[in-house]
Amino acid sequence: MDRNNLGKWLKSPGKMGQKYSLHALYFCTGCGIIEIPPSITTRWDAERFGVIPVATPRQANLFLITGYVSVKTLRYIIRSYEQMPEPKFTVGFGSCPINGGMYWDSYNTIKHLDKYIPVDGWIAGCMPRPEAVFVAVTHLWTLIDKGMADGYNKYRANYQYYRENQEKILGKLEWPPLFSKNIKHEEYRTIA
Amino acid sequence: MKNTGQLLKEKLLLSFEDIQAEVSDEHRLTVNCRKDTVITVLSFLNNSGYDHLALISCVDWIKDNVLELVYILTAYAEDKGKAKMNILVKTRITREKPGLHTVIPVFENAEPYERELHELYGIHFMGHPRLTPLFLEREYKIPPFRKDFDTRKYVQEVFDQIPFVEDKKAEK
Amino acid sequence: MVMTTILEIIFIILLAGIIGLFFLGLSRKIMARIHWRYGPPITQPLIDIIKLFNQTSMSHGFLFNFGIIFSLAGSVVVLLFLPFGRICPLSDSGGLLVILYLMLIAPLGLALSGGEAANPYTSIGISRKLLLAFGYELPLLLILLTVMTHYNTISIVEIVNKQFQAGWSFQHLSLLLPGIAYILILPAILGFRPFELIQAPQEISSGPMAEYSGKFLALTTIQHAFNIFISISLFTNLFLGGAANPGYFFLKILAVFVIFLFANAVFPRFRIEQAIKYLWRWPSILAFAGLIIVLITGKNF
Repeated sequence: MDRNNLGKWLKSPGKMGQKYSLHALYFCTGCGIIEIPPSITTRWDAERFGVIPVATPRQANLFLITGYVSVKTLRYIIRSYEQMPEPKFTVGFGSCPINGGMYWDSYNTIKHLDKYIPVDGWIAGCMPRPEAVFVAVTHLWTLIDKGMADGYNKYRANYQYYRENQEKILGKLEWPPLFSKNIKHEEYRTIA
Repeated sequence: MKNTGQLLKEKLLLSFEDIQAEVSDEHRLTVNCRKDTVITVLSFLNNSGYDHLALISCVDWIKDNVLELVYILTAYAEDKGKAKMNILVKTRITREKPGLHTVIPVFENAEPYERELHELYGIHFMGHPRLTPLFLEREYKIPPFRKDFDTRKYVQEVFDQIPFVEDKKAEK
Repeated sequence: MVMTTILEIIFIILLAGIIGLFFLGLSRKIMARIHWRYGPPITQPLIDIIKLFNQTSMSHGFLFNFGIIFSLAGSVVVLLFLPFGRICPLSDSGGLLVILYLMLIAPLGLALSGGEAANPYTSIGISRKLLLAFGYELPLLLILLTVMTHYNTISIVEIVNKQFQAGWSFQHLSLLLPGIAYILILPAILGFRPFELIQAPQEISSGPMAEYSGKFLALTTIQHAFNIFISISLFTNLFLGGAANPGYFFLKILAVFVIFLFANAVFPRFRIEQAIKYLWRWPSILAFAGLIIVLITGKNF
């Protein structure tokens, strides 16, 4: 942990700020949420890493999806994700968002979350222990340091593909596209 | 000394004609009836003190080609000395174009249960004020809780057909 | 002379910001220790603010931007009228009455800004904030009236000077009741529990803050830090005798803040109507009784 390294703070304050102030939005779908209260309270205390839960997507920059994603939930996950300010990081918690987990042949559960929104990291397991959240956070720090946690840039660059995938499952989306449709894919990339 | 279930069974058999009732143990009374007498049986039971509709459930007997609806009734207020009773009112309807009358006039809380059954089993409840979707987001050709709905095939057809974004980019 | 005033203004704004942010960090650390947690580093609010300034921020229109600046400016202006130790840049120009008026600007600015956001949670939070301000204004007015009558002046610098000669206000029997009343309403002014109903993250998604992102959230955090500094400084100046130098003054406000933090850590939350009932009953009665005692015993100075 290089939180007290003043040289790094002066060199890249934005990156260091993003690393050590992860305001988490817990999307409480399914059973994963049961692991979150111990990890933010007395026993494990996520706040010492700078991770605190916030109430609205506008204030958050870490999106933690804890548990299975049904088709109806996906709609609100996408809306919450698009409301978050950039830079934003997504972490899938548990095996269900990775590949469906025990809902692998369910008629109403999304199998791969990263087909619909970009995901920067996964925490595998059913259920992962609260320690796994901290492993994920420290891993996310390394990714941010190397500039590899760029899911939000990927979303910007490939927005039309993501939107096509979302519309295949949810039908016609009732909200307007986050990024203008007039720009071609190549131009998204230059923006990113 | 007959217990409550036996007494109720005799009362039911006296009041209705084509109806079978069976007391499996002291807490359970099973009543089988035709689909057009369900509402009268339910209102009879409601008046006899069993005033709580706990659940409407459904079983898909695909070999007999019928759907079996189960109305589970209990009583809010238990009398002293009276055993706690669960009454299962069962009725069988055909699988093709299944439909029967709603029981909302008798039990008002049946509305969400009937909407759920309409959505998951495709049963049409006549006289229901709003049979709109409750849980599901997508439309299904076969209602998903029926036995002939192949979930694995459905997953392969719908969820597995959606490509990863990286693959899609590589194609173009 | 002008040069010193300008220097003092810059100095006091910087100092208030630093002290306010230190208090926010300290509050998170102490709260964590009371919960038997390790807690974040004491610089965590500063880290948050650096991050928030490096995020994209969504605006909801002109009033949304203007309201935050307005409320921040209101807080900054109040700072200039409060003596910090012996430092008080605009001590000649105003007194308690000016402070009383200017303290209302901060909630009004947030109300303007939140109203533009058109989020239902924001509207609920703002209505609660204004109602709570309405609730504590009555006892606060009575308390300030009592203090002004007792010392026969409206200048806060003069009140502090008189306390140097005659001891803290708490030592005068006639000002004891208003002092207790101020202690009772201070959590409401600070937004601490049991009056945390403005933000109430579990209930109304952090209320007025619900739509703020990026630099807007950073500015509201700074405003909150200023607000904490102002309300505790006012209490210290009026009742704990101010201080002869900034260091001693800082120790005094630190002690007051930590005591209220302990109360914040253990209390549950009022509902808004309970809060108004409480604020208009006990603190108001105490302050009113104090006013009558001061009027009967006559002016001491």
